[in-house]
Amino acid sequence: MANTIDLSPVARPKTATPWTRTSPAQKLSYAAAVVVPAGLYALYMVLTGADLMSGLFTIFLPLQILVGMLAGILTYGKKGIMDALLYVVTIFFSAFVLVLLLSVIWSLTEAGLKAISPHFFYQNNNYVQVNTSLEYGGVGHAILGTVLIVGVSALITVPLAIATGVFLTETRSKTRGVIRTLLQAMSGLPSVVAGLFVYSMLIVTGVTQYAGWAGAIALIPLMLPTVARVTEEALRLVPVELRNGALALGAPAWRAFLQVTLPAARTGILTAVLLGLARVIGETAPLILTTLPGNGTNLNIFEGPIATLPTYIYYYISVGFDTSIQRAWGAALVIMILVAILFTSARLVARPVGQFRKKGK
Amino acid sequence: MTAQAPEKIPPRLKLVVKPTTVPDKIFFGISTAAGYSSIVLVSLILLFLIIRAWPAFASQNIFDFMFAAGWDNAAQPPIFHIGAMLWGSLLVAGLGVLFAIPMAISIAYFIEFMAPKAIAKGATVLVDFLAAIPSIVLGLWGFTVLSPVAAEWAAMLNKSLGFIPIFANGDANFQRSPFIAGIVVSVMIVPIIASITREIFSQMDQELIKGSLALGATKESTFRRVILPTASGGIVGGVLLGLGRALGETVAIFYVLNVIYDDFNWFNILEPRGGSIASLILAKFGEATSDEIPALMAAGVVLFVVTLIISSIASYIVAKAQPWRKN
Repeated sequence: MANTIDLSPVARPKTATPWTRTSPAQKLSYAAAVVVPAGLYALYMVLTGADLMSGLFTIFLPLQILVGMLAGILTYGKKGIMDALLYVVTIFFSAFVLVLLLSVIWSLTEAGLKAISPHFFYQNNNYVQVNTSLEYGGVGHAILGTVLIVGVSALITVPLAIATGVFLTETRSKTRGVIRTLLQAMSGLPSVVAGLFVYSMLIVTGVTQYAGWAGAIALIPLMLPTVARVTEEALRLVPVELRNGALALGAPAWRAFLQVTLPAARTGILTAVLLGLARVIGETAPLILTTLPGNGTNLNIFEGPIATLPTYIYYYISVGFDTSIQRAWGAALVIMILVAILFTSARLVARPVGQFRKKGK
Repeated sequence: MTAQAPEKIPPRLKLVVKPTTVPDKIFFGISTAAGYSSIVLVSLILLFLIIRAWPAFASQNIFDFMFAAGWDNAAQPPIFHIGAMLWGSLLVAGLGVLFAIPMAISIAYFIEFMAPKAIAKGATVLVDFLAAIPSIVLGLWGFTVLSPVAAEWAAMLNKSLGFIPIFANGDANFQRSPFIAGIVVSVMIVPIIASITREIFSQMDQELIKGSLALGATKESTFRRVILPTASGGIVGGVLLGLGRALGETVAIFYVLNVIYDDFNWFNILEPRGGSIASLILAKFGEATSDEIPALMAAGVVLFVVTLIISSIASYIVAKAQPWRKN
């Protein structure tokens, strides 16, 4: 048996990627393109005492583009000029948005923490004047009001939105395209219009006085599009074979949905609900038009003034005292913490949905 | 044995899934009803607003109401014209979109084509989080933190380019201008435009990009000549969606814009005077007279119709640009 064939696999060369190789000279010019403008700008700031933001667009950006282009010429020749422009502009604007976001978060924590203390969370505002020092009073009543109003709104919206999601995924109706477009368009509904709508429908007609439940109704058209669209996505991620299997086994459509599709999509739907809550928890204008601000705790959504966090912020900014603005910052921080909790749990919950995600994407 | 004569092939039955049992009928009935609820909601909003707004439409000349300036509830007869507000809303929203487009496309490009996976994921989360910040919080931030900085930028623009009428400002005051309101609004709509653009970028045919690069195009020319034209439909849709959102923005603009009711500010974006329908409604609602309420409702109708039209066109374009979303 001299002619045995060697069947051991041939060692394939590793896929060569010569374009990713960078020579030391290139690395040096890249590093210089990052360090030099930043350094020069820092020097300028130190010399003239200007702050970071003032010359960002007029001095730093042109300088960075110029140096980036020089580095581009050094490494790729003429072709590198426009590439450098693309890189510099893209990274600059992305970083700028990051700076804006960080600035919002930083100012919230900095100014909000000054106002916040344990009693800020559980005390209400009875006997508190706008210029009372921060040792007294808090947003406890507003937190309760927000939870109540948003909760009642969610109780109505979530079933409606899930049923809408079912309509968009389980039926073969011809109008689904129209509804889908309308839902997306509704997500741009001006919040003040939602408030005016409930004001004209319930309050002018005398169905109710200014009350919490009117605010809850006003939040429905704002919450519905978000929940319905994310629910639709979640239902669509459930493999159609699962439902078809259930149908083939003889289950009626409603049981196939309730016992197969819905459980499979439950995390996605939970995400939808959480995102919907995060969307409306900070809505201000509809509540200003439909509820009255109150200083005391009111758990009756059918009667009486009821405070919510967004309207609390709104009125305390409008008053304009130093202490009142500090209180507004405190309440803004509380609302942001709530939003962050909702947002993070939506993220964490959404993860297992990945099991259905199509491969190769 | 003779072969059996082929039987006539039965016509192919069209499989029609129609609910037959009562529970199924109920199930599909409920879901269909819920599906139409959004149409019902939109029509209810229009109906009630128009009924309440009717006295204003009747007493004010509709043309004057839409396109003239002036708001005076003490005059006899009272004057309610929202032309200046409508133009102000468009101006602020336009500026917001103008500022938001470069930021949003940059982020989308950064996430999809430049950043390593981990950073891209983090950036996506941050952009989504930016979208979750309530507008009242952004308003508070815009009014206390951003305004002074942006006023400084505005002063610099005025100093170097003040000879161009757009950047002229007779006042020494650069606060509360449409320019600043535009920046605040752009922070709100960047996430909307960015997330749609990013999705369009991520679903692009990779072969196109690779082909372009293989032909010797640089990254920049690939972006300009291949990626942007292919994605332009979706980007336009996203921008319009952002425009619709910007027009309807209420509380944030309320704090950072000085609203002047009886005069147009056509293009002096650095001057501290502007208009916004949503701010008008919010500002005037509290102490509105009985004649004034219908006028505010009418302003709401105009705002709603304008945003609904823009958003509908936008969603239609976005849906066209995302064929993978269809089932």
